Amino acid sequence: MPKSLILCIDDEPLGLQIRKAVLERAGYRVVTAMDGPTGLSIFARESVDAVVLDYAMPTMSGADVALEMRRIRRNVPILLLSAYVNLPPEVTGMVDLTILKGDGPEVLLAKVRELLPGESGQAAVERQP
Amino acid sequence: MNLKEFRRILLQALYFPILLLLLLAAFFLQQIGMSSSLQRAIVQSEGIANLLAVLQGEILQQEAAVRGYELTHNRSMLQPFDQAKAGISADLTELQQRLKGDPAQLQQLAVLSKDYEQWLRLAQNLLDKNPASVNDPKSHAREEAMMEDIRATVNTLQKNEQKRRAILSAQTPDLAHRQFIQIFSASLCIAMAMALFMRQRLKRVSRSYTAALGELEQRSREVQQSQQRYQTTLESIGDAVISCDIRGQVEFLNVIASELSGWSMHDALGRPLTEVFRIVHEETREPAENPVQQVLRKKKMHSLPQHSVLISRSGKEYLIDDSAAPVVDAQGEMTGVVLVFRDVTEQRRSEAALIAGEKLAVAGRLAASIAHEIHNPLDSVSNLLFLLRDETDPGKRAEYLEMAEQELDRTMQISRTMLSLYREPKSPVKVDLKDLIEGVLLLLERRIALQKVQIVSELGESCIVEGFPAELRQVVTNVLVNAIEAAGMRGRLRVRLEPTPPEEFRGAGAVIEVVDSGPGITDFAAQHIFTPFFTTKGEQGTGLGLWVSMGIVQKHGGMIRLQNCGLEDFSGACARIYLPAKTLAGDRRIAAPVA
Repeated sequence: MPKSLILCIDDEPLGLQIRKAVLERAGYRVVTAMDGPTGLSIFARESVDAVVLDYAMPTMSGADVALEMRRIRRNVPILLLSAYVNLPPEVTGMVDLTILKGDGPEVLLAKVRELLPGESGQAAVERQP
Repeated sequence: MNLKEFRRILLQALYFPILLLLLLAAFFLQQIGMSSSLQRAIVQSEGIANLLAVLQGEILQQEAAVRGYELTHNRSMLQPFDQAKAGISADLTELQQRLKGDPAQLQQLAVLSKDYEQWLRLAQNLLDKNPASVNDPKSHAREEAMMEDIRATVNTLQKNEQKRRAILSAQTPDLAHRQFIQIFSASLCIAMAMALFMRQRLKRVSRSYTAALGELEQRSREVQQSQQRYQTTLESIGDAVISCDIRGQVEFLNVIASELSGWSMHDALGRPLTEVFRIVHEETREPAENPVQQVLRKKKMHSLPQHSVLISRSGKEYLIDDSAAPVVDAQGEMTGVVLVFRDVTEQRRSEAALIAGEKLAVAGRLAASIAHEIHNPLDSVSNLLFLLRDETDPGKRAEYLEMAEQELDRTMQISRTMLSLYREPKSPVKVDLKDLIEGVLLLLERRIALQKVQIVSELGESCIVEGFPAELRQVVTNVLVNAIEAAGMRGRLRVRLEPTPPEEFRGAGAVIEVVDSGPGITDFAAQHIFTPFFTTKGEQGTGLGLWVSMGIVQKHGGMIRLQNCGLEDFSGACARIYLPAKTLAGDRRIAAPVA
């Protein structure tokens, strides 16, 4: 069974790189994009299984990217990352799950698993103490 | 009645009686002339009668002489004849003179003269002849007849004169009576005319005077009422009012002023203002300059510096807000100064509480933004620690550790920046507004990016003003955040900084202009935007941001103006923050820095 492909979008390069490492450690395949438009083009091209999307980004916010993605393929689950505590309900209502930056990798992985039930990544979870 | 008419009446009252009296005098003179000419005529007539008597005597004398000579032939008897001759001739001439006005008498006199001359010639002839011929009865008879004629003529003349005198004498009492009546009636008429005239004129003056008196009374009543009204207004006004004359001596103070100063109107009257209205600076306790002196110097209304404390007679202190204005008379001359002030102790307290509240809100927002900034690296660090836990490859571990350090450095850097931003100097410092605005824009970068607001930055050259950087940053942040929110998603914003020439505002300085492409502000909002608790943001706003901002800018000696800009590209609101190059803010700050 091929590993699930996760698209990670964030304007913070270091944070993005580290998040990619965490997800890869969990057994996922990860593609990254530094901004919304790039992310959307990857999303349209690749058969992405889930999206981990940062909310606060210049040029195109996470909410706009999510909206666009829903237009392209509505069934791909999206996890929205944000440093803000209270996101507007119209934004949270558009994505599957949300996570607060700083919640930690365990929460991140748990939410990703929630998005991809029975998918690969189990190995990584099993590896966890 | 105006003054001109009154003068005219006065002149009439002077000249009309004089004219009447002159007429009366002329009439009197005429009457006197009439009676004196009658007297003269009588005297003249008497003179003529006397003269005629003398003439008669002289003629008789001559005739007697001639008779004597005829009888005696003695030449010496003719002496009176010769003597009388000259006299008779003179008398005739005299009579002719005196009878000039009476033709009938003159005619008689002419007859007399002619008869006398004939007689004289005849007598002379007789006398020149020898005495013998003198006794010629014929000649004698002729001579006698002639003499008879002469006598008759003289008698006629005398009778005529007598008759004339009788007529004149008879006229005298009649004339006197008539004159008495005429003079009496003339005097009566003139007196009546004068009385009527004066009465009519006096009546007019009196009517006008009464009207003027009534008018004056009415006006005086109105003035009194108006004064009463002003007095009542001043008494019942909520502010304290003290007025004083040009020397600074108290003339009036209302109830509130009495309550605050502790001086009753009775005690304060005439005392120097500085004694009744004692003000010092809240902090330095230095006495403030006498407001009267300031108004005298500036010749216009001025406000007391902030933080003025009024010390009442009993030593109680009130924080006051006041203004002093010149009192000018109708000629524009300054006659005194009026002070209006009120106790703002409570207001200051609640303002301080509001400012503190807003500071808390600002601090809260700032804390949120710091937390956001810090969350990103913290998230990375947390992820890195997760990776490190199971990583056995030393190379990878070192890489993760380095990354974690980098992220922690970033966190530290953010925290330090925040601290340095809000470390506030105690006295005003030179602030480069360009740097300040750029710093604020940087701080708001994420927010701007999120809303996709396009910023047109026209900051130009550096603009240095004096001030408290953190407070000014708070103002700029506030105005920019408002503009960003107003512009909305994908809105546009233009920030412009330019120096202002001295004539545009109070001295040279700078203006920060922020215009947005939002919907603009309503008239209602424009009127209330700087009042506390007014907000257009519903639950999101505290309604204190612009009020506090205005307070800060005003403390710096500047001003914020907010209106709709009506530009083609930026149809929304236009906020202009004027800041003077030299701040009015003292060494103390109203608001403590947000830290």
